[in-house]
Formats: sequence, C-alpha cells, structure tokens
Amino acid sequence: MIKTKIKEGISKALFAIAAVLCIVAVAAIFLFLITESFPAFRKIGFFRFLFGETWKPNVDDRLTETPTGQYGIWKMLAGTLVSTVGAVGIGGTLGFFTAVFLSRFCPVKLKGAFYAVINLLAGIPSVIYGFFGIYVLSPMLGFLSPNGSGSGVLATSIVLGIMILPTVTSLSKIALDTVPKGYYEGARAIGATHEQAVYRAVVPAARSGIAASLILAVGRALGETMAVTMVAGNAVNYPTSLFKSFRTLTANIVMEMGYAGELQMGALVASGVVLLLFVLLIVLAGQVLRGKNGRQRNGKKRGIAAVERWLYQLKIEKIGKTVCWASAIFTGGVLFFLIGWIVVNGAPHLSWKFVFGNYSIVDHASYTIAPSLAATLMTVAVSIAISVPLGVATAVYLQEYAKKNSKAVKIIRASIDILSGVPSIVYALFGAITFKMWLGGNVSILAGSFTVTLMLLPIVVRSTEESLLTVSDALRAGSFALGAGKVRTIFKIVLPSALPGILTAVILAVGRVVSESAPFIYTMGSSIQPMPNGYRSSGTTLAVALYCFAGEGRYMNEAFATAFVLILLVFCLNVLAQILGKALTKKWKGEENGVRKKHQRAKR
Amino acid sequence: MEYGKNISVQNAKLWYGDFQALKGIDMEISEHSVTAFIGPSGCGKSTFLKCFNRMNDLVNGCKIEGNFKIGEVDIYDKATDVNELRKNVGMVFQKPNPFPMSVYDNIAYGPRTFGIKKRKQLDEIVENSLRAAAMWEELKDRLSKSALGLSGGQQQRLCIARALAVKPKIILMDEPTSALDPISTGKIEELCEELKSTTTIVIVTHNMQQATRISDKTGFFLMGELVEYGDTDDIFNAPKRTETERYITGRFG
Ligand SMILES: Nc1ncnc2c1ncn2[C@@H]1O[C@H](COP(=O)(O)OP(=O)(O)OP(=O)(O)O)[C@@H](O)[C@H]1O
Ligand SMILES: [Mg+2]
Repeated sequence: MIKTKIKEGISKALFAIAAVLCIVAVAAIFLFLITESFPAFRKIGFFRFLFGETWKPNVDDRLTETPTGQYGIWKMLAGTLVSTVGAVGIGGTLGFFTAVFLSRFCPVKLKGAFYAVINLLAGIPSVIYGFFGIYVLSPMLGFLSPNGSGSGVLATSIVLGIMILPTVTSLSKIALDTVPKGYYEGARAIGATHEQAVYRAVVPAARSGIAASLILAVGRALGETMAVTMVAGNAVNYPTSLFKSFRTLTANIVMEMGYAGELQMGALVASGVVLLLFVLLIVLAGQVLRGKNGRQRNGKKRGIAAVERWLYQLKIEKIGKTVCWASAIFTGGVLFFLIGWIVVNGAPHLSWKFVFGNYSIVDHASYTIAPSLAATLMTVAVSIAISVPLGVATAVYLQEYAKKNSKAVKIIRASIDILSGVPSIVYALFGAITFKMWLGGNVSILAGSFTVTLMLLPIVVRSTEESLLTVSDALRAGSFALGAGKVRTIFKIVLPSALPGILTAVILAVGRVVSESAPFIYTMGSSIQPMPNGYRSSGTTLAVALYCFAGEGRYMNEAFATAFVLILLVFCLNVLAQILGKALTKKWKGEENGVRKKHQRAKR
Repeated sequence: MEYGKNISVQNAKLWYGDFQALKGIDMEISEHSVTAFIGPSGCGKSTFLKCFNRMNDLVNGCKIEGNFKIGEVDIYDKATDVNELRKNVGMVFQKPNPFPMSVYDNIAYGPRTFGIKKRKQLDEIVENSLRAAAMWEELKDRLSKSALGLSGGQQQRLCIARALAVKPKIILMDEPTSALDPISTGKIEELCEELKSTTTIVIVTHNMQQATRISDKTGFFLMGELVEYGDTDDIFNAPKRTETERYITGRFG
C-alpha cells in the first residue's frame, strides 16, 4: 500500500511539473511580448505608433537614442482591418449559406462527401491559397483592374475569404445540425414551408454557434500572413480602392523582421502586441456573445435583429433555396477548381526522383524536395514529441487534479485560450528572438521545431481538456469505488476513454506543423537547402519550400508538384483521423451498439 | 485491524460547504443483513450511504464529523487507507456504469487494482463473480465483447459482479433498480437475497414495496435526520412516528 502511495505522489508531481512547464511557456510568450515591445512603445509613443501614417523605419535606430525613422502603423492597421472585413464578408456569407445548404437542403447522398471535402480544405496550408492567389486569381482580376494589376485589397479579401470558408461552413453546419428537431417541426406544424422553417426557426436558433464560427474566422483572417503577403502587393498604402496595393500588419512583420534594426524589431513586436489585443477583443466578444445567449431569449441584440429584419424584407425564405444552392455550387466549384488546378498541374511533375531524389544546389534543373520532406518530418517529430506529452499532462492536471473553480485555474485556462488565437507570425517573432539566439544565432531545424511546439501546446491542451470533459464522472466514481487510486483511474479509465479525441487532436497538430510556414521562415531558414545533417542544420519545410518555388516564379513545375504533395499529405492525415476515430469509438462503444445504430439508421 | 461486516455509526454530521446534509445520525447495521434507506428526495440517503466508503471525499468542500466503524476499523482515521476501505466496501450506483472495455476486463478491473495478474487466477475470479451475480450462463460466451453492448439490466448486474470480484464484506447500493425494467429489477432483488449469505447489503430505494420485499431493517430519513430505524416489518406495519406513517402511506414526499 505504501508503494501505491508513492506511485500516486510521483504521478501527481509529474503532472504538476508538466502543467508548470506549460504555464511557464505561456507566461514566457506574454513576458516576451511585453518586454520587447514596451521600450519601443515608449520611444515611439503609443499614439504616434498606432495612428502614425508613415512607416519609414531606420535600421540604425537604437532603443536608447532618439529615433530618426518613422514608425506609424495606421495604414497597415487599416489594411488588416479592411481585408479582414472583406474576407469575412465574402467567406462568411458564402460559408453561412453553404452551411445551411449542407445542413438542410443537401441531397443525402451528396452530404457526406461534400462535408468531407470541406473539412479537408480546412487543413490545407495557407501558402497553397496564396499560390492560387498569385497565379490564378490575380491574373483574372487583372482584367478588371484599372491599373492592370490584380493584386491588392480585393484579391486579398477573396483569398482570405476562401481560406476561412471551410471553417465557417463546417462550424456553422454543426451549429445548425444541433438545433433541436422541435424548432423545425413546430414551424412546419403551423404551416410554414421548408424554407420558412429553416430560415425563421432553425437559423435563429443556431445563431450563437454561427456567430462563434464567424468570430473564429475573423481571428484567422486577422492573423494570416503568408497568403496575404503573396497577393496584397505590400506597398504601405491606405486600402482605399479594390486594386490598390496595400500592406497588412502580419505581412509587415514577415517582410521586415529578417533585417530589422533594434528599434524596428521592437516596433514589429509591438505590432504583434496590437494583433494580440485584437485577438483578445475577439475572444472577449465571443464570450460576451456566448454569455448573452444564455440569458438572451427575449431581448435580442439590436444589430442581429436589424440584419434579420433586413433578411425578412428580402423575403429570404423565398429565394433562400436558390441562394443556398448557388453558394454551395460556388463553394464546391472554387474548392474543386483549386484542388483540380494543383492536381492537374502537379501530378505530371511528381516523380520518385523529385520527392526522394538527391538534392543538388548547383544543378537547378534537378531540385528535389527530399530535404524539405526530411525537415518536415524532423520538425513534426520534435514538436509532437514535446507538445503532446506536455499538453496532455497539463490538461490532465487541470481537469483531474486542480481545484475546478479556483482563480488560478481560470486564469491559466484563459491565457491558454488567448494563446491558441495568437497569430503564428507572433510565434515566429518569439522564436526568432529567443530560440534562434539561444541556439547560437543561426537558423536551425531545432529552432523552428521549438517555435512550432509552442504554437501546438495550447491546441493540444485545449482539445485534450475537451476530450477529458466528455468522460463521464460515473466512470471515475466506478473506478474509485472499486478501490482504484487516482493514477490508475486516470490511466486505465479516463485517458483510454478520451483517447479518440486526443488522437484526433494529435493528428490535427501534425497537420498544423505541415501546413504552417510563417513561424519557420526566420527560425529554420527561407531558402531550400541540401539534405539536413542534423537538427542544427537549416532547412525548409514543404510549405516553406512551396513559398520559395512559387515566390521566385521560375520553378513553377516544382511548385505545383510540392503543392500536390502537401495536399496529399493533408488528405492522408484527414483520412487517418477519420479511420482512427471510428475504429476507437467502435472499440469503446461496443460492437453491438454499433450494429444497433446501423439498424436505426437503416430504418430512418 | 480487521474490516468486519457490521457498521456502527455515532453522531454522523456532514456539511456540503455551509449546507448541513446530515444532522447527527446513529446507526448499527449487523452482518449478513439487508438494510434499506427510504425517505423523500434530498433527505440525505445517498449522502449517508457514501460516508461508508468515503466517496464523499471526492466532493469539494465536504466536511464530515462523527464516528464511523466498519468491524474494528475507524474508517475516518488518518491511518486508514481509502483504497483498502473501498475494496472491503463495494458500491453499485443508480445508473449502471460499466467501463468501456470488455466484460472480462470490467470484472478483472478490481482484482488487477490489487495486484492480481495471473491469467488463471483472474479467470477463476471472473467466473465466480459472474456466477455469484447469476450471469455466468448468459455471458460466458461473450466475455471478450464490450460491456457497453449489454442491456441496461445486464449492465447493472455486471456492475454488481464487478463489485463482488474484490470480495467485499459490505455492498452499498444507491437505487440500483431505478433505471431498470420490472424484470431486471426482480433479478437484482433475487440477487440481494442470495448475496446476503456472504455480505452485508445497504440499499437506498424509492420503492416501498422493494424495501418490504428484500430488507430486514429499514431506516427512514427526513431532512438530514434518521427519523426512525428498526425491523422492516415494524416500520411498515406499526411505525412509531407520524412522519414515517405519512411517508409510507404516500401522503407526502
Ligand atoms: N455534491 C454536493 N454538493 C452540495 N450539495 C449536495 C451535494 N450532494 C448532495 N447535496 C445536497 O445534500 C442533500 C442530500 O442529498 P442526497 O443526494 O444525499 O439526497 P438523497 O436522499 O439521496 O436524494 P435522492 O432520493 O434524490 O437521491 C440535498 O439537499 C442535496 O442537494
Ligand atoms: Mg440519492
């Protein structure tokens, strides 16, 4: 029995240590942001920084001397806001109607496949969207543009809109699907048509879920970096017309951090802080919305009510079906076209040699992605090996050991929430200033891996916590009542029951590493290198390699083939997540239950 | 010191935060008996029951006073090992809660917790426990199937078998049949009769007939107090207190 006691004590200590490490990491990021930005804020002046119209940094400006350059981010802030509004206008609207279609108008046979495609697209690397933006969208828009160039505000909004489409669609669909049947049936029972019932009863009931999906989309659009950099044009201008070249805050960071001077770097971190403040606002808005919805019911929010009135005046339910079909066809068409474009152009150039062949830096005709593939795998290995055990253990500590309603736990959870919304370019800043420096000042695969590890932590913690929450307390009680201790209960009952959710989270995390690019450019390297010979080598992941190929414009075949490999990878990860999830659920829920469910489905 | 099959409680008081759920309860439960707890909802039956295996320890802000002895063991003593206590005092819950694993692993969970690893020994325990719960014939061919595929009544009896596998001296049951159909309920009542020969049973029930059918003694609870406690026949035929009479005749609660 003493042995059990010791085991309990050690395990608790280990979980607690993991939690502390995780909290230290979280705190380090906040601390970094504050200490790095504060001197710059002070030197430049908060209002001059935020509302200044001129961005003309001087590389020689130091934090200790009077600045000679000018550091106003107002134009870029406007650019960020305008492109986000545009993106949410386009992607949000399309996504909403596509979700309504999927949930209420889609023929049953099409439903599963369509939804699977939408989910697949949610995981596609943003550089692929940027690639599509440069070579398809911009040239097309160029025909409409008065200045002949298709890049700028409109192109950026469209690319971002397409990027957030899957997120909005998938989450709104879930919200619509979970509306209790009674709403729809009640409306039909008093003589409403299918369209009227959907738009007047079901959609309003799903309002908070739909709003939440839009909020997430806003966060994603605000923080997107690489795709925006590829299509915005990047001149520091007010975004005053659709085809004007402009720059967002994120693009500014990624473009200048490579050669920034002391004060300039501080200013870049400060603009990261501004982005973070926006994320904070969004998280708060989301919570207010969620909180409101609990109490709401009779007092609708005015803005939403006004939009609804407008929709009714439009007689939305009369044209609703058409709009839905049109959105869905458009969404499906765009996504299909995007994938088709890459597959058709990429497949012919895909060869064994291109993927696995020897890379030579002198022979440009024989570029291969073998080094990038290796770098990607190395990064995945390190980041998953660190973030998953640490994240899962932290989640276990927070859920199973820590006092449920203590202030400390609430603060930790809120910080993790915020971190999971921090734009990846902010992590890039952190990684470039800390990890890269600690590792000798050179870019390396290790520095990039650590940076992305930090990014994964909040994701792993949050999704593990959610899986742990789905494990019923009755099971824990059952285990305790048999004389099992906490450790045994956690390892034999709680974690196995939460395993499908945790594994899905791990696969999503792998997908995230594969598809990210911004955090790697200044930590791991931005030019394609020969085969890495260890973690201290520099290198590029596949997504960054695509950015390099596409950016130079001279290696289009290589770019297409790389994009194809990336999509293939994301696809495989998706399928893997599905299969694993199903297999495990079947194992735990029992085969007979599965059979019963099938019968029920057949009856319906 | 040895765990016995009799329970002795003096002056039990319990608070959930500021709310006092038990207000000083004395009770003697003798070995190899079936004792029923009855009373209106929220009167503290479950709370009192869970004191016997210290499941209330898991509730935040729960404070307990009084003397609780099982056999010779003072169960709230500092030196008492809670896991050892729960091995001796098993529990069956209102809603069947089989673990999401096979029938076999469900039953082997308890013995494995206490270090039994040998397959042969485990096989024997599983068979004996299932026989004791009168389920062996029903389940012997599907030991490796998931327990979640069983019917509600089977799941509950499996939970009883699972509790029996660690050879408890006492079994606590908190409304074990309230989620079941009449036939499954009958089977579990029969089971209680049989288990009496090896264990002491304490059962919370809302079903007055059930209490008269299976219990030797009955305790009537009201607002955190034990109003009346005695032989089941006496409680139901000649209650001493008017509250008891009003409750069993269905006039309040
Ligand atoms: N975890 C808890 N925290 C706070 N109060 C509790 C908790 N559990 C029970 N209570 C309160 O203690 C009182 C007794 O609860 P208990 O569950 O013991 O009643 P019961 O007699 O079993 O009722 P029922 O027949 O509904 O199961 C109730 O007022 C209940 O609200
Ligand atoms: Mg109860």
